[in-house]
Amino acid sequence: MHKYNKNIVLLIALVAMLVPNACQKDLLDPVPQNSLSDATIFATPDRFVSLINGIYARMKSGQFYGGRYLVYGDVAAEEFLNETGNGVTALQVWNHTLGESANEVNNLWNAVYATINSCNIFIDGADKNRAVLNNDALANQYIAEARFVRALCYHSLLLTYSRPYADGNGSNPGVPLRVQPEIGPTNNNLARSTVAEVYALILDDLNFAEQNLAATNATSGSLNVTRAHKNSAIALKTRVLLAMGRYNDVITEANKLVPAAAPFKAPSGVAHELQANVKNVFSTPYTTTESIFSMPFTTSDLPGVQNGLGSYYNPGPAGVGDYSLNPKGIIGDTLHFPLSDARRQFVLNHTNNKPYLKKFPLGPEHTDYVPVLRYAEVLLNAAEAEARTAGANQRAVDLLNAVRGRSDASVQFTLADFATADDLINTILRERRIELLGEGFRDFDCLRLLQPLPGKANVAAILPSVSEYIWPIPSGELAVNKDCVKNP
Amino acid sequence: MKKVLLGLALLLWSASLALAQRTITGKVSDDQGEPLIGATVTSPGTSSGTSTDVNGAFRLEVPDNASALRFTYTGFITKEVPLDATSSYDVVMETDNSTLREIVVVGYGTQQKRAITGNISTVKGDEIASLPAQSFDQLLQGRAAGVNVSIPNGVLNNPPVFRVRGINSINLSSFPLIVIDGVPTFTGDLGNSAANNVLSNLNPNDIESIDILKDASATAIYGSRASAGVVLITTKRGQKGKTRVSYNAWAGWAMATRVPDVLNAEQYVEVKNEAAANANLSGPQFFLDSINGKLIDTKWADYIYRTGFSHNHALSFSGGSDQTTYYLSLGYTEQEGMIVTNSFKRLSGRLNLDHNLTKRIKVGGIIGYSNNNNIGPNSGSLPGQAFSTAGIGRLAFVGSPVVDPYLYDSRGERIPGVAGYNIGSNNQLGRGKNKQQTGFYNPMPLIDLNEQTSEANQVQSSVYGQLEILKGLTIKTQYGLDNIRVENITFWTPIHGDGVGQNGLAANSIIDYKRWNWQNLLNYDFTLSEKHVIGVLAGTEQQRTVTEGWGAQRTAIADPFFTTYQGNFTTIVPTGNFQGENYLLSYFGRLNYEFNRRYYLTFNVRQDEYSAFASGKKKGTFWGASAGWTISEESFWQNALGNTVNFLKIRGSYGTVGNNQGIGDFASQSLYGSGLYGTVPTIVYSQAGNPDLSWETSKKTDIGLVFGLFNDRLQGEYTYFKNVIDGLVQNAPQAPSKGIPGNTIAINIGAMENTGHEFSLSATVLRRGNFSWSSSVNLTLMKNEVTELYENSDIFSATAGLESTNIIRVGESVGSIFAVETQGVNPDNGRRLYVKADSTVVQYNHVVASGQSRWTTLDGTAATAASLIADGKVYGPAIPKWFGGWDNTFTYSNFDLNVQVNYAGGNYIYNGSKAGLRDQRFWNNSTDVLDRWTENNTGGKIPRVVFGDNVSNGSALPISENVEKGDFLRIRNITLGYKLPSRLLERANIASLRIYGNVNNAFLFTGYSGTDPEVSTNGNSNATPGVDRNSVPMAQTFTVGVNLGF
Repeated sequence: MHKYNKNIVLLIALVAMLVPNACQKDLLDPVPQNSLSDATIFATPDRFVSLINGIYARMKSGQFYGGRYLVYGDVAAEEFLNETGNGVTALQVWNHTLGESANEVNNLWNAVYATINSCNIFIDGADKNRAVLNNDALANQYIAEARFVRALCYHSLLLTYSRPYADGNGSNPGVPLRVQPEIGPTNNNLARSTVAEVYALILDDLNFAEQNLAATNATSGSLNVTRAHKNSAIALKTRVLLAMGRYNDVITEANKLVPAAAPFKAPSGVAHELQANVKNVFSTPYTTTESIFSMPFTTSDLPGVQNGLGSYYNPGPAGVGDYSLNPKGIIGDTLHFPLSDARRQFVLNHTNNKPYLKKFPLGPEHTDYVPVLRYAEVLLNAAEAEARTAGANQRAVDLLNAVRGRSDASVQFTLADFATADDLINTILRERRIELLGEGFRDFDCLRLLQPLPGKANVAAILPSVSEYIWPIPSGELAVNKDCVKNP
Repeated sequence: MKKVLLGLALLLWSASLALAQRTITGKVSDDQGEPLIGATVTSPGTSSGTSTDVNGAFRLEVPDNASALRFTYTGFITKEVPLDATSSYDVVMETDNSTLREIVVVGYGTQQKRAITGNISTVKGDEIASLPAQSFDQLLQGRAAGVNVSIPNGVLNNPPVFRVRGINSINLSSFPLIVIDGVPTFTGDLGNSAANNVLSNLNPNDIESIDILKDASATAIYGSRASAGVVLITTKRGQKGKTRVSYNAWAGWAMATRVPDVLNAEQYVEVKNEAAANANLSGPQFFLDSINGKLIDTKWADYIYRTGFSHNHALSFSGGSDQTTYYLSLGYTEQEGMIVTNSFKRLSGRLNLDHNLTKRIKVGGIIGYSNNNNIGPNSGSLPGQAFSTAGIGRLAFVGSPVVDPYLYDSRGERIPGVAGYNIGSNNQLGRGKNKQQTGFYNPMPLIDLNEQTSEANQVQSSVYGQLEILKGLTIKTQYGLDNIRVENITFWTPIHGDGVGQNGLAANSIIDYKRWNWQNLLNYDFTLSEKHVIGVLAGTEQQRTVTEGWGAQRTAIADPFFTTYQGNFTTIVPTGNFQGENYLLSYFGRLNYEFNRRYYLTFNVRQDEYSAFASGKKKGTFWGASAGWTISEESFWQNALGNTVNFLKIRGSYGTVGNNQGIGDFASQSLYGSGLYGTVPTIVYSQAGNPDLSWETSKKTDIGLVFGLFNDRLQGEYTYFKNVIDGLVQNAPQAPSKGIPGNTIAINIGAMENTGHEFSLSATVLRRGNFSWSSSVNLTLMKNEVTELYENSDIFSATAGLESTNIIRVGESVGSIFAVETQGVNPDNGRRLYVKADSTVVQYNHVVASGQSRWTTLDGTAATAASLIADGKVYGPAIPKWFGGWDNTFTYSNFDLNVQVNYAGGNYIYNGSKAGLRDQRFWNNSTDVLDRWTENNTGGKIPRVVFGDNVSNGSALPISENVEKGDFLRIRNITLGYKLPSRLLERANIASLRIYGNVNNAFLFTGYSGTDPEVSTNGNSNATPGVDRNSVPMAQTFTVGVNLGF
């Protein structure tokens, strides 16, 4: 016992002596193993690419272009009927009961601005770290991609939270214009720029993008759809200018992508053209030359629960079927949208006798690509601009026929079919409802022309004069940004 | 054991051989005549000593010159009996009502209660061991002043809301630090839909005492972890003497209480068709239906709640010799909840060992192991689940009564198997012949086919060695580890419910928490000139924690046959991945000084360095000082008042402690995560760091008075406290237009105060013959006020990210209830009236003709919508302004009756479930909708029903109609026990046997109209307390049990 005792004493004494040395100071500075430090994100050329892809991934958030943004654009108007009464799947958008604290109002704003900040961080950081790439043209090309996305983001914000450009030529409040990276606690307060000021930045970004983007994204067809190139910027410009009512400029830009006469195929860069069967555009691999820009999905990278287009529009089991097609909407117009039209294949008559949109049929895992820019839209943008500037004219009719005729060869309009420019314009607008159904355009087309958002079921139409015509500025922004004013 | 005792007796005998001896025998019993087993018998001034046997008898050799015998026994007043010529003494020992002589566990040591100048409340393990629960923390309601514990709802093993002196943080944790036998442990829910409170791994039967440290003096020794209070759990140790075996068991039955009353089929059809007509829908939408000629009138709650059976067993062995003492225990419990499929199982074992290697060296250790297994449906009642359409709490009342959960064939027989579930298109409850949706999901396939389990294995173990260098001077080293591994398993059927969206889903994940903790302590206690008692403690502590989680989710089932992750599915993605680590390095010290048993001083100091804080901001020094004066020891007092006020002490403390609990391991760093864009990798901004981030600081003031009256028959304590917290780590809201991840940056800014008064009294009210009544009562009055916020901006917080009903605003209590005022229903047209910020009253009509506005002023002019942010008002605190408990024990002969009451109030609850229960979509309604406005009932309290209206009753916009007071008084426990007389048991060699019955949650008195005023849908959230949204109600439990001792 005695010997034992001594050893123990020794042991304890030893332990006690070791204590001051045993603390492992390096453990006080742990480095996370599954995240990168902000100091290292521009360290290699590969990380530039990953950051660019990160910007697209932000934009692809289920709250934004990954799904919901398109849904909002469609269900706000008359083409869809709410089936599930679920308050978290755009019910208040459909009902026009959005308040400033509604989740849709806050979440979309948050997702878009998160994308914008990603762009701003990249634009600033890529410029400062050009040396890493050692290739100025490549640096500019990457920056151009970020500026392209930023333009798209600001445009989406204006279309949602601001009075249309047509109301006072952009003199109304737009949105806070953030062009610097935000990484710290300062700069919370920033007033809304006017709609026109925001549009100026959008066009500036797109002009820069057009000049600096690659003509094509290397050899891969898919990169020409999932990342921006010159023609993407031009295509977006036609949409932006259309929203501003600058129809001559729409034509100028469209002409870079659309020859004067058929066959319509982009003469430079990626050779965009319509596909013979519109269904192929919405089928795997989603990378035809008709798709100018789309958001890709895989089973490992899904839009998230209650975000996917397929979740909203497909009845079970491929989706939740929150919205069916309104029989009194465009699908009820069998005169102008005849049953022979190939686009009728996107209308599914479900067993419950309700029609559903089958444009994004994959489910329950919604891996259909989400279309952002499509050549068909550019053609219709051009057609409308032609009709609005030159009245009823042959080129406008040709462009309309290109879209229409691809899906319904039985109808070929001639100039004689249109007594007035308005007849032609209305036909083009109706064609947009058919062609772009479910792609988020319906409210855009009403708003830019200051037309009412049509009613449906027991929901009344929303006139351009009422506050519900646009979304309120989100409560989250108002609570912190003291310089941000509400919408009236 | 007998050998040991024999050896001991021999030793004593041989030591006293030199002197002439005489033999004394006798028996020791308590005032009820029950023998006291293991009481120590000594003779002062001699080395003689022994302890009593199972019959309370003793036999002691004492020197001839011995003059007295001293009897000591824990919980009894030490008694000295002078020795005379007789050799036999039967002694009756009096129960010691005074808790002041007790030893209290303090940080890194123990102290005599009389010398404590900090604020510590103690709960004895015995008080809670026999009550039905999953974890000890659920049982602390009303048991200590300043401590407010509430059960969030009836989901098994859902962590209780546990607050020591209120909410002490906004974004970090307000849950106290829990230290088990010196090693800080993990807290929180690590489960999935099956709640898994980590603290349930500790068998409540193993707990000796729970000491709750509240003020700066008591907590400062825990430094940066002490802001929300510290709870020290001491598990049972062996005591020298004969082996004691104890077996405690109970069996119980749990059922749901206060389930909402909803419309029956006929009422539903009437109300909803009226609503449809008011919404201009053509014709009736809902229809009565029947099966086999029997009207379908489904009471969904009957399918969801049940009487759950539980049983619990705890077996322990303890004892020891002079050298070694041990406590060995085994526990097994199997509990069924009141919700179908909800269950909890625990198997636990523990060995606590202490061994004197030599007179000066002591070694010992603890091995605690526990396995628990939780099974639960998606209850919709855990934080974040409130609006889940699969949440069974809501499915119990939202579904229409006009459809049946099952389908029947033409003969009226239920169709067997999966085809027999009534499931409609779009993954909803089948509509039957109705024209509208009739439910979210059919709960039956979810109950039958989905599975969510959470299993934990936890090892809590420590070893120590202690050397007494000099008398009173010891060094001690203790190394502890606490490892927990949780496996969470989820399977969702592809047939119905949430799994449809993924065509079946199986997700398994592992959570690993590993911690080691190494403490080295130097303790020196000594007395100078008899009057100066000095205690010094110096110590170091290091603690490292590594957390990891990983798992995968498989979706798109290959064949409906598969129900486990290991079966075949066509896709797989990672889930539940995280990696973290932190390290705390500390030096601390304590000085206790006592003068002449009258004056006491304590000073604690601790320096912590914590890894999560920013570089240069890791190190902090915390301290607490306290002083006490036992006035009753002064002669002037004893002469004047000593007979009435036999004890009186005033004490006070002040100090500053910190809070790092709940901060992310890398919270100060700016980080970028990596994900996918289609198939290619991305880098995305994931966290905006703060290079100045540091701990929260809490300045605690505490002034108190402790007294004993009439020889301690009445004892009491009063305390005033003030806790000023600043440098709150606030997830400071950033303008969303800045695009900062999460729109927040963690910044040390903001301040908050908790002030209050604590009262506690305990008394032996009556003792007459065989009857006694002892009672203790406590009451805490407290107030929380937010005094500073980032840019003094309001922070709105939402339940499950959807419904904002709480506000954090300067000048108000944290998380106050916030809603738009309504003035009821306009008797002219049945529309809900709302009061806007500018006092104009607007009304809402859900369905209006095109071009008309839904929102109008009373004269019909179009108005803008009422808005929560612009028009909302603060209704009051969501956390109670007063709370406490009242515990009564009556004994009569062998019977004992305990009645425990707890109460709280002064707070408001947002009863969101009420909004849901009045919603005019297809949702079923509470019966109060029968009093709706109609042209014939213009005084109706419920607005005119309009189908689809989710605004008028608060679903889309929180309204004052759903704000209710939360005052309540609950008879928490009634326990009636009977101790079998010992003479009956002696023959069977049983030392004690008690049988009892208990009713838990026996009665509730409240004006609250929801299921329960304690419900906390958001669990322990600081920002969204006091919300009742779609949660299951509370359980009421009946148990019978037995306490058996050998």
